Amino acid sequence: MAELTLRKADQPQKGKTWPKPQGATRLREFHIYRYDPDKAENPRIDTYFVDLDDCGPMILDGLLYIKNKVDPTLTLRRSCREGICGSCSMNINGLNTLACTKGMDDSTGTIKIYPLPHMPVVKDLVPDLTTFYAQHRAIEPWLKTTSPTPEKEWTQSVENRAKLDGLYECILCACCSTSCPSYWWNGEKYLGPAALLQAYRWLIDSRDETTAERLDNLEDPFKLYRCHTIMNCAKVCPKGLNPAKAIAQIKKMMVERKAA
Amino acid sequence: MRETIITRDMVANPKTHYGDAKASTRHFVTQRVTGLVNVVFLGFLLFIVVRLAGQDRADMVAVIGNPIVGIIFSVLIAVVAVHMRNGMRDTLEDYFSGRMYRLVMLLNTLFCLIVGFVAIGSVLKIVFWG
Repeated sequence: MAELTLRKADQPQKGKTWPKPQGATRLREFHIYRYDPDKAENPRIDTYFVDLDDCGPMILDGLLYIKNKVDPTLTLRRSCREGICGSCSMNINGLNTLACTKGMDDSTGTIKIYPLPHMPVVKDLVPDLTTFYAQHRAIEPWLKTTSPTPEKEWTQSVENRAKLDGLYECILCACCSTSCPSYWWNGEKYLGPAALLQAYRWLIDSRDETTAERLDNLEDPFKLYRCHTIMNCAKVCPKGLNPAKAIAQIKKMMVERKAA
Repeated sequence: MRETIITRDMVANPKTHYGDAKASTRHFVTQRVTGLVNVVFLGFLLFIVVRLAGQDRADMVAVIGNPIVGIIFSVLIAVVAVHMRNGMRDTLEDYFSGRMYRLVMLLNTLFCLIVGFVAIGSVLKIVFWG
């Protein structure tokens, strides 16, 4: 059911302002969302100052500077630091993106960092993505066949393989799904742009032999048709993919199937 | 109002459906087709409204009383009513579920039917009786 306002206990309050690093001449101010589930306190926005002469150029570098040199309790996910693992997705200056590929010089002024919107927060910048992964599981992201398994691999022509370009590159960072108002509203029933992009990737895979079953599973007013082509997903995707187009293609497949 | 609790297992199950699965594509197509028809017919409606600007009721009755205009207006009203019902369905699905959803959907259908019949009746009155 819709919740139109944030509960009082969930409303972020002004937090601590951490001291500026001594002797630093080039500083950048960070406002970061902090939440500790073990404390019965509201979330807060802490203020930090990063010494740009002692830090790499990316937002993730700034966050790690804070974690390593200012406040070790700051919690965030990160791994590859080159836009491949999707771990460090967060809301930076109002836009969902990867902290490791977003440069500090992409914006001016204070850098405001929140966890991915409308997801339960585990701690600080770490959202609970369990439902997001369950939705990915729901589209059965693996090859499903009915023919006898060949002795070697399932082969695919170069042309058919090319159809998967723009789809297979998804790193499941959840930037798209958590930027979608439809997903905010129906976060459990609507599969979301990321899962549907993957669904389309398997629907058009020439080796897959269960297209009709996959379409049957997707045909639902909530799972698929909650996409209203808002396009936030395409706008924020840090890999430059277009989930909205993939969803439109699924809808087209649905209509063509009905018409056939 | 009691809501169905959606578990992670339900979300992960590909066979889970949350609404009228078979009708969903039909609703999607109907909404697009009626939307497209509305664009064309509303253009005609605007043309008539602009043409009648500043004229009195007798002129309006003369134009809308034309059987062809009357038929086009009646079709437009029917298509708008269908489009309105479908559009409201999306909103109601967001806010209600279960028996409550069925009740408000019934009210939505009734409202659209009443609006459609009253509006078409008004057009027919002008066509046949002026």
